[in-house]
Amino acid sequence: MLYLAAWIELGVILGLIAPASGRVTRPEAVAIMIPLAILLGVACLVPFYICGSVPLRAAAWKGLVQNHLLATVIVASAVTFGGRLLASVLDSSWPGVAALFGKAVPVITIFVALTYLLSTALHYAFFEIESARRAELLAREAQLKALKAQINPHFLFNSLNSISALTSLDSARARDMCVGLADFLRASLRLGERDTVPFGEEMALTDMYLGVEQARFGDRLRVARDIDPECHGCEIPALLIQPLVENAVKHGIAMMAEGGEIGITGQRDHDRLLFRVSNPYDPEAPVQARNGIGLRNVRARLEARYGAAGKMQIHATENSYQVTLTLPAQTS
Amino acid sequence: MKTLRAIIADDEELARRILREYLSKESDIEIAAECPNGFEAVKSVNELRPDVLFLDVQMPKLDGFEVLELVEPEVAVVFVTAFDQYAMKAFDAAAVDYLLKPFTTDRFRAALDRVRVRLATAAPAPPPRDLKLAARAPGEYLERLVVKDGPRVHVIPAARLDYAEAQDDYVALRSEGRNWLKQQTISSLESALDPRRFLRVHRSFLVNMERIARVEPNTKDTWLAILRDGSKIPMSRAGYSRFRELAGNK
Repeated sequence: MLYLAAWIELGVILGLIAPASGRVTRPEAVAIMIPLAILLGVACLVPFYICGSVPLRAAAWKGLVQNHLLATVIVASAVTFGGRLLASVLDSSWPGVAALFGKAVPVITIFVALTYLLSTALHYAFFEIESARRAELLAREAQLKALKAQINPHFLFNSLNSISALTSLDSARARDMCVGLADFLRASLRLGERDTVPFGEEMALTDMYLGVEQARFGDRLRVARDIDPECHGCEIPALLIQPLVENAVKHGIAMMAEGGEIGITGQRDHDRLLFRVSNPYDPEAPVQARNGIGLRNVRARLEARYGAAGKMQIHATENSYQVTLTLPAQTS
Repeated sequence: MKTLRAIIADDEELARRILREYLSKESDIEIAAECPNGFEAVKSVNELRPDVLFLDVQMPKLDGFEVLELVEPEVAVVFVTAFDQYAMKAFDAAAVDYLLKPFTTDRFRAALDRVRVRLATAAPAPPPRDLKLAARAPGEYLERLVVKDGPRVHVIPAARLDYAEAQDDYVALRSEGRNWLKQQTISSLESALDPRRFLRVHRSFLVNMERIARVEPNTKDTWLAILRDGSKIPMSRAGYSRFRELAGNK
């Protein structure tokens, strides 16, 4: 409604300006300009659909210009044609209007074309701002989820229970575990605030996590690391590896009476990084929500950041589970 | 004072240690066994017949609820676990008390007092039969069934169950050419399994849809479901119409 009113107003203004040329009277000009302005207003909504389906991309600018010029010509002709039709109808009550409108056609056509192009440009600007805002929102949401998943209450409460047990058994170990847990939580919060972190920092966080779990599970938890030193300088999304290792502990080791070994490997292959976390699991373990939110979140974040260049692959056999991440090697 | 015999079931060594420490301060308690997983918990409880069982929920082999299904109901159960929102309902239903890790000595003593009261009044705990129902999130179904096989425990994944037949207070579970008896009603089993995969074709029969090879008319108002292994399961008129509905929706 507001939109329509704005265009009617434009029609009134044009209708008042037009008589300045001295060839038309005010009522005539206003009678033509208002419907014309409404028509133009409707035409200017067209880019909403065209811009939505033809996104701005540098690679396709030729087609883009062609499309929009064609649309401009069609819209300008249509509006001018509508004006002519209206003028010829009004000609019966105000003789001479049609002839006068005919003279004004070039000016009106150019005006309509320019208005339409302006509308297209504004629509693109609107879409760009909108999509940038949405991308930012998505990224923040993913990060928030990662942070939330990070502080897994089950892990926290069980760790606190271990500390409680150690206070009377071995107070020095109780203190070490307190500090280990605090270090891990602090580092999680710090890393969670950042977009990307050096791989070495993420690995340090993973080790802090494993240190706490080691106290809980003792001999049942064994870890084999094989990290290519070249990985260390690379920037990776924060909280990418640690959740995978936590998954391996929670669904693999914790569900095995005799425990098992978690494998963590990192390789750099020219411009690609390959991380792999593997763990054994008991195929007959009590079923719980297996590899739920944690893994989905890692995949979503990889895709959002790297598109096709970021991948998460899962390879599961009868009794082992392996998650492989592939992402571009980026150094800061 | 009568001495109470206790069993501790938790997969984490330190979690068992703290219970042992708290229990050692009680003069009327004797620890009969400590179990690091669900299988051992079932075995120990059924062999040693303790008065009280301190039971963790998340454990290897069998979880705490599965353990409860398989032990004699006379034992007073205290769940000892990290917080689990769905389990809370089950705690209320079947346990004497529950302790959220970590817990204080006072909280532990309060739980023990409740155990003593329960054992003194000799009121048996409610049967744990439908415990898994209460412990499940809406829309989630059992993926496996546990049955006692003499002193051992047998696990049947839901996908490997052919059919179940009601036999008085028991259900006979048919899986991989063998029959297993479990103390449960067929209706409670039906409601615990995914209704898109398991169909009550008869008052006494629950069938795995994937096993049905074909359906033949039997008498005027009954049908027969022929399973892949050749077993013939009777279908009532209502069962047949449920079958048509489910098969038609696939």
